[in-house]
Amino acid sequence: MENRLIITKYSEQFYPPTPNNFTLFLRRSIFFQLIRFFILNYKIMKIVIKGHS
Amino acid sequence: MSNIVILGAGVAGHTAAAYLQKGLNKNNHKITVISPTPTYQWIPSNIWVGVGRMTPEQIKFDLRPLYKKWGIEFIQAKAQSFYPEGDDQIKTGFVEVEYTNEEHKGVKRKVAYDYLINATGPKLNFEATEGLLPGNGNIASVCTFGHASHAWELFQEKLDKMKNGEKQIFVIGTGHPTATCQGAAFEYILNVDFEIKKRGLEKQAEVIWITNEYELGDFGMGGAFIPKGGFISNTKLFAESYFVERNITWIKRAGVKKLDDHKIYYENLDGEYLEQAYDFAMLIPGFAGHGFKGYDKAGNDISEKLFAPSGLMRVDADYTPKPFEQWSIKDWPETYQNPSYPNIFAPGIAFAPPHSISKPMTSKNGTPIFASAPRTGMPSGIMGKVTADNIIHWIKTGNATMIHKASMGRMGAACIVSAGYGMSKGTAATMTVSPVVPDWEKFPDWGRDIKTTMGEPGLAGHWLKWLMHYMFLYKAKGLPFWWMIPE
Repeated sequence: MENRLIITKYSEQFYPPTPNNFTLFLRRSIFFQLIRFFILNYKIMKIVIKGHS
Repeated sequence: MSNIVILGAGVAGHTAAAYLQKGLNKNNHKITVISPTPTYQWIPSNIWVGVGRMTPEQIKFDLRPLYKKWGIEFIQAKAQSFYPEGDDQIKTGFVEVEYTNEEHKGVKRKVAYDYLINATGPKLNFEATEGLLPGNGNIASVCTFGHASHAWELFQEKLDKMKNGEKQIFVIGTGHPTATCQGAAFEYILNVDFEIKKRGLEKQAEVIWITNEYELGDFGMGGAFIPKGGFISNTKLFAESYFVERNITWIKRAGVKKLDDHKIYYENLDGEYLEQAYDFAMLIPGFAGHGFKGYDKAGNDISEKLFAPSGLMRVDADYTPKPFEQWSIKDWPETYQNPSYPNIFAPGIAFAPPHSISKPMTSKNGTPIFASAPRTGMPSGIMGKVTADNIIHWIKTGNATMIHKASMGRMGAACIVSAGYGMSKGTAATMTVSPVVPDWEKFPDWGRDIKTTMGEPGLAGHWLKWLMHYMFLYKAKGLPFWWMIPE
């Protein structure tokens, strides 16, 4: 993120979305990620069960 | 008594061996595993070996004591020729193998079977790209634990150079115009970048992704659509965003043709021949079959009946050539059974896919440049289990109907894309797709079930990948209740 200003304007790297500070905070927050850990496990198990049926 | 022979002890072969010994009475049936090395390795963790976060010993173990406990005969050898009709001396099918252990190295042996599982995986075809061999100058690989261990040594040399103020260019991606496994290279580049930044050396490093994908995020599965933040976006955006956030640049639609010590030579879809300088390269090679031969009872070459031109084994797929627009999930195999010899199966990467998943692209000079179809750990494990279940059913009932099926056009897959190791600072993207091969008839808008397809970056992803490393090694080691852990 801190390097975004060195990206050449009008290059391909100029256009994609980058996470803002709140998104980065959520991605790193132990408490929030602990909740996501259980949710992600549940979502993966749904796929796994379907794959084995 | 049935005699089951499994060629290969990777994810598909070892999973099949585990379920066969569990499902069959070992006093009445014989199971033999033939593999060139006596080691099981959890390949997804190779990327952590390649950045020094794990040692090879943490991701592998010796299979021989486990197979002894399970009553499975282990032969350390590599398969060479298939004789599905037997010969004058052996009435059943057999494979000719050559020992690879020190004691009998080079000695050939015929191993008879009633049921054969060919789970030999791919040949890592480094030779198809001039100069790509790992260990050659500044070239690394993470395809095996040995390669990954060397990659870490080479990476350390480059880190030391950067500490001394030297600039270094890291180029990571695909090393052949039709290579697959972009996911592994994607994980490796993110981990390399993470380790460089962790040491505060980013000013000395230029990190570049080079890929045969038409767009980033294709991953050989034609990309995927993911609901996130009020939008349904393509994985192109997801992959590009990941790179931009880290200041990683990229070269796409590139078919790498040749490497020397400091330059990568590639052709792009526009037909241009270009060069990229590098100081460290980790490029995934093309995959091919092992060059096995097949012979009938009279000794005539029947390799074409057993193997596709790629050298991978023919199974119950629809190999009729057809344009991309007519591709369907019905083309994909369900039982991995050879159509000419029903007692031969090829789960995992050993089976010849009917075609790629991504749209085939050709450069202006006629060079195919696109991602081949990937087959990751989860689908390979499921295929291995389904093959074992079908053989068990066949043996127990005498009914050769394949009742267990696992098409990549119906099964989903979960993949954790590591982007940095650490229990508090680590990160990974958790991705699920369902099905692996897009089904545009059932899901005309997005090709997949949008409710179960997702991609989410964060620390929780690292915990998941870390947990899966230990969980799947626990399962592979056959420790108590291993079978309760799904593939």
